[in-house]
Amino acid sequence: MEHLVSLIIFLPLITAGAVALVRQETFAKVASVAVSGLVLVLSLFLFVSFDFSRGGFQYVTKVEWIPNLGISYHLGVDGMSISLIVMTALLFFAVFVWSWRIEDRPVLYTALFLMLETACLGVFSALDFFLFYIFWEGMLIPMYFIIGFWGHERKVYAANKFFLYTFFGSLFLLLGFAAVIIYGYVETGRITFDYMEHLQMGYPVWLQKVAFLLFGLGFAVKIPMWPVHTWLPDAHVEAPTAGSVILAGVLLKMGTYGFVRFSLPLFPEASEFFIPLIFVLSIIAIIYAAMMAIAQTHIKRLIAYSSISHMGIVTLGTFAMDKDALNGAIYMMIAHGLSSAALFFAAGFIYDRIHSYNMDDLGGLARYIPNFATVFMISGLASIGLPGLAGFIAEFLVLLGTFKAHPVWAFIAGTGMILGAAYFLYMYKKTMLEEETITDDRRAKWKTLKDLEVHHFIPFVTILAVAFIMGLYPSPFVKIFTHTARMVLGGEL
Amino acid sequence: MNWNALLPELVLSIGILLVFTLEILMKERHQRTLSLVAFLVLVASAFSVFFVNYPARTLFDGFSVDGYNLLAKFLMIAVTGLVLISSYDYFSKKGSPYGEIPYLYLIALLGFMVMISSENLAIVFVGLELASITMYILVGLFRREYLSKEGAFKYLVIGTTGTSMFVLGSALVYGSTGTITLSAKNTGDPIFALGVLFLISALALKVSAVPFHFWTPDAYEGAPTPTTSFLATVPKIGVYFLFVKLTIYLFSTLPSWKVVLAVIAVASMFYGNLMAYVQRSVKRLLAYSSIAHAGYFTVALTSVDRVLISALLFYVVAYAVATLGAFTVLSVLEKKEGWTHSFTDFKGLFREHPVLASMLALFLFALIGIPPMAVFVGKLAIFMGLVKIEMFPLAVLFALASVISAGYYIKVIVYMFLHDKERGYGGVEVSAGESLTLVVTCFGVILLGLFPGTLIGLLLRFL
Repeated sequence: MEHLVSLIIFLPLITAGAVALVRQETFAKVASVAVSGLVLVLSLFLFVSFDFSRGGFQYVTKVEWIPNLGISYHLGVDGMSISLIVMTALLFFAVFVWSWRIEDRPVLYTALFLMLETACLGVFSALDFFLFYIFWEGMLIPMYFIIGFWGHERKVYAANKFFLYTFFGSLFLLLGFAAVIIYGYVETGRITFDYMEHLQMGYPVWLQKVAFLLFGLGFAVKIPMWPVHTWLPDAHVEAPTAGSVILAGVLLKMGTYGFVRFSLPLFPEASEFFIPLIFVLSIIAIIYAAMMAIAQTHIKRLIAYSSISHMGIVTLGTFAMDKDALNGAIYMMIAHGLSSAALFFAAGFIYDRIHSYNMDDLGGLARYIPNFATVFMISGLASIGLPGLAGFIAEFLVLLGTFKAHPVWAFIAGTGMILGAAYFLYMYKKTMLEEETITDDRRAKWKTLKDLEVHHFIPFVTILAVAFIMGLYPSPFVKIFTHTARMVLGGEL
Repeated sequence: MNWNALLPELVLSIGILLVFTLEILMKERHQRTLSLVAFLVLVASAFSVFFVNYPARTLFDGFSVDGYNLLAKFLMIAVTGLVLISSYDYFSKKGSPYGEIPYLYLIALLGFMVMISSENLAIVFVGLELASITMYILVGLFRREYLSKEGAFKYLVIGTTGTSMFVLGSALVYGSTGTITLSAKNTGDPIFALGVLFLISALALKVSAVPFHFWTPDAYEGAPTPTTSFLATVPKIGVYFLFVKLTIYLFSTLPSWKVVLAVIAVASMFYGNLMAYVQRSVKRLLAYSSIAHAGYFTVALTSVDRVLISALLFYVVAYAVATLGAFTVLSVLEKKEGWTHSFTDFKGLFREHPVLASMLALFLFALIGIPPMAVFVGKLAIFMGLVKIEMFPLAVLFALASVISAGYYIKVIVYMFLHDKERGYGGVEVSAGESLTLVVTCFGVILLGLFPGTLIGLLLRFL
């Protein structure tokens, strides 16, 4: 069982090596779908055999790696990480199925995505700072090339911006790691990179504050929080569909995961101290990004801003210091991972068919590609938090938890969510409806459009099915996340 | 007389004489054979390091061996060996297969080995000067090329200034304390302080730190590329091992040494990183990256702390491996007719040479500090050291400089991967020696990053 976690993480990397060696298109595509499917099945198996009645980390692997520096190969998962792992595996599977028809350098494409999968899965299960950081930065190179190779017009600019922003954050994260590790060394005379040992250490408040800011900068860039969010719209606009899906679905979650995994339990007093700062930034993100979204005419840019807005809800819930709010925040990570992935798939489908992301070039599509119009609607409703879909439970829990201690903040955040409905419905209207406004030659062109194919349909169905399950029957998931919330915030088992 | 302590140097000296004699006896220009012989000499010398009993002293206590300098010697021999074995094809393609080249590399190495081991400023000077004079010749090897001559001349003039500063500094220290051993005590005399400042300046010049960096871009660019990779690696290792020793013994006795070194360090990192952006040649860009790295290394000398210093030395080694790899890729490419290392030459390189381009990208990503490559561990370790001595501002400046540096390394990668080819230069053959160096550096830079424990453990043990 413990080895299964390592297997899940490194299977994609090994496959990437095989794909790069074989250099054959069919092999690359079949192998990527098969392996990501296998990873999904294995992660689901780990998920169902996870013992949620017990606290702490499970499936723990700990092997000495660099003993004289206190670095070990330490993996383990709790409720939050196992859920994120399943979501990551699901999204990668969806991405590989979606990319079945890709023609531009498919071997390289598959190999890079497989490397990315290893890095993403690793981030969510590493319990050693060194290992965590290697995975954390490991996603940088594949993602850089994915945007750079397969992006649109301004791909180089977007890829560079993505790289430099993220690297900037990461270096401060590294500095933060250095600070806490050295504190441990000075206190105990022993260097250790182990997360569990640092959990026991109890840093003094000044160190907590310094380290919180250093860690926070690293995570904030990745989430991204206002005002370091400007790389995200560019990266999304220029990235290929699959890249956007992974970026929004998985990579953004790394930042919020970092807050829950590291900042809250390692620096409890500092987290308390910085609540106002985080709240202000979160509220700005929620409202400002939602308003920016309304103003967009580019579909992907709109969805990118909606992501920033939703991630604001996650950070708000994370730092509300309440079990319900934290549950909601984790719920939101998964829900947003699913809904934003579905929306980016939808945007990608539109681009595949019509070669434009601009709302002005679209309109009246619902009649001609009805199946697509349906899944697009469901994806959007999942994103804006319609009851019955996962996003609703998440937003509800976050607001509920935040309201207990901070009613004013919760109220302001709630208004932001109304804006969410506005921008999505506006986009839907401009792209799918308003048939009467489009010109005749465009209408003639629409008539020849092909609706969803199988390799489009499978990703949508799997993702939206999970969103429905999580929306209709939330209690097991809430129980799973409480597993983490308990550990992070302390309190009753 | 303890001959055993001198074993690696003796093996190397005999080897130099051997190569020298062979070169005279051979009628034709057999540079390839001579390179191979010289490489075998280096292997023997590296092997002999393991047979030295340490700690030991010889030559009237002027020459000492301990684990610390044996490690430095071994690393320098290894790097020189890789430079040498990758060079023969380059020189023959460039039409300058001089038989002197192999033993000149060996002599420069011998100079650094003597320098590292000495306990005495006079012998340090002898070693440094032996190495420096050889390197002036190595830089100017392309006798018919203006750039090579210009680089060599600048290097000669400025390098000689450096060595004279070193002599002057030693003289002032001697005048003030009456001894030229490294363990001279601070007399509180301003003359002593002046002497130490001269010594610091001389070493800063040799590692191309600001404000003594002026020779670096021209010498790096003008030199034949294998020589550039030698210049960027072996002297860095040698001089920093010496710099650490002198800092511990001598510099730290001066009250304001921290400020001096911190200013040099911060100036070098920002100057090097910012100037690198305006370069049009990748080779020159790497020269500025070398200046910036001199800053990163020097920042760790601002305190005598075991963690920090072992971090510094690890970082120097990691940097040397990555830089050696990068310059080796450049020297392979330079064998093409008309190749100038300008950015436009690198356009679309990935399509043409996927392996070479990927390797160069790996080394550049390593220099940025992306895990799991070794430079990342160096950065982490220096962060840890700086936090330990509570130098947070320096750590933050270091982090900012690293972020700035990412931009220009990425620029090279963008040109190689994301631009389309403008003009073709035809294919290029990678010689056996070059592939050996490339494979060793590739694996080296990753393995050192994944398993840094062995080297850091050795450094901590010997410090």
